[in-house]
Amino acid sequence: MNILLCCNAGMSTSLLVKKMEQAANDKGLEAKIWAVSADEVSRHIDQADVLLLGPQVRYKLTEMKKEGEARGIPVDVISTVDYGTLNGNNVLEFALRLKK
Amino acid sequence: MAGFISFLENRVMPIAGRIAEQKHLQAIRDGIILTMPLLIIGSLFLIIGFIPIPGYGDFMAGIFGDKWLTKLLYPVNATFDIMALIVGFGVAYRLAEKYKVDPLSAGAISVAAFLLATPYNTMFTPEGASTAVEVGGVIPVALMGSKGLFVAMILALLSTEIYRKIIQKKIVITMPDGVPPAVARSFVALIPASIVILVVWLLRILIENTSFQSIHNIVSDLLVGPLNALGSSMFGAIIAVLLVQVLWSLGLHGAAIVGGVMDPIWLSLMDQNRAVFQADPTGELPNVITKQFFDLWIYAGGSGATLALVVLMILRARSEQMKNIGRLSIGPGLFNINEPVTFGMPIVMNPLLIIPFILAPIALVIVTYLAMELGWVARPSGVAVPWTTPPIISGYLATGGKISGAVLQLVNFVVSLLIYYPFFRLWDKQKLAEEQASQSENKTVAL
Repeated sequence: MNILLCCNAGMSTSLLVKKMEQAANDKGLEAKIWAVSADEVSRHIDQADVLLLGPQVRYKLTEMKKEGEARGIPVDVISTVDYGTLNGNNVLEFALRLKK
Repeated sequence: MAGFISFLENRVMPIAGRIAEQKHLQAIRDGIILTMPLLIIGSLFLIIGFIPIPGYGDFMAGIFGDKWLTKLLYPVNATFDIMALIVGFGVAYRLAEKYKVDPLSAGAISVAAFLLATPYNTMFTPEGASTAVEVGGVIPVALMGSKGLFVAMILALLSTEIYRKIIQKKIVITMPDGVPPAVARSFVALIPASIVILVVWLLRILIENTSFQSIHNIVSDLLVGPLNALGSSMFGAIIAVLLVQVLWSLGLHGAAIVGGVMDPIWLSLMDQNRAVFQADPTGELPNVITKQFFDLWIYAGGSGATLALVVLMILRARSEQMKNIGRLSIGPGLFNINEPVTFGMPIVMNPLLIIPFILAPIALVIVTYLAMELGWVARPSGVAVPWTTPPIISGYLATGGKISGAVLQLVNFVVSLLIYYPFFRLWDKQKLAEEQASQSENKTVAL
């Protein structure tokens, strides 16, 4: 399971990466989770199974969805509450649900 | 207040979204990012060159010889002074990417178009002469830096538009089967590239016959002059900050959206200061407003100057929720990242907290601008300190090593703390009441 996160500079999503990795570890789930800035997504999306956007760049959703649809990769925006509280577990669950 | 929120959501949000999604603005924003690492590296050398210790210059000259400073600043000239070239390439590259045409070719064509618009001569004063003479056969360094930034951006957009239109209309040279794909690709760029060159060439010849004489002069007189005047004023800064804060209040990355329009202006203002500082570190710097003005003095802790708010949460919060958010936010907050605050507290879509979130940075613009304009505090020297640098250190470095820059950050911290305090108390009380209510409910159930 490869989960790509994206926000403006890839900074605040990298906070979330750590929490999600912990959550994946606790579940015994093998996952590669990483964060990039919005302008780098095109170079990383091919390695991803699912792409999640930080809520502050949700204006990029239409553009990113197009990229995702072309590759069969689900794309969505992380909920603001889970994002703000850095709830790695919820965001991981969200990614898993999207992938199904 | 609920009306205000719904106004923001229904009226402002769609417009903001459209601006944020606009291809050309995104290309400018993403293309400019390409120069930032170079500017930061150049700044390191600038900082080392002008360490404000008495006798430092003599000390260095004693070890490395009289020319030590000139030699030390070579990298500055190779980073700051080629800003326009890099941006010209970066913007074209990013725009071509969005159109899904070959970005590398688009970048190369854009650089050629930019140089085609630039007369290969410069004014030079020979040693012993009193008047400058025009020298040919040189690429004028002055126009490769921030002075040429807008020409480079405009030509990057223009050339890439021409390039992709022609490619998408399929007016290209198609090679017969059997020609290696790499060879075919190199020919694909030929027609669009020659049309770009033709257009810019005609433009240059045309303008050479007017009183402007060069594309650079037209752009600087008609566009850059007015833009810089607006961008360097306190009024312009307040409007920009207001926009950033309103967008963040909606949960959108305001700084990224507004930066697409303002970054070129703020970067060239920054570079004007840098040029003066590099020539004479004691000279009077022309601008108060630069990129660092916002990143370092207004947005300590992240957009909204939320570092003070996070400190309040840690020291004064009584509700568990606010204590938690405070603990979660202080680490990233020191490096000016505040999503745990904006989305976690939350400030986004929260009518109570949006008030200080908008007021505090505006107050800081006024305080900072006046303090620097009146000469109480050193102006940003043009050293490109990364926005993730913690306050106090960043204010010292960005002013070229002046304590006053760090002191003003402390003052700004107190100002934002005072503005946030009453609102923070109200919100914390509300959260505490909610927690106690749910606790007593649990107790009743347990009984």
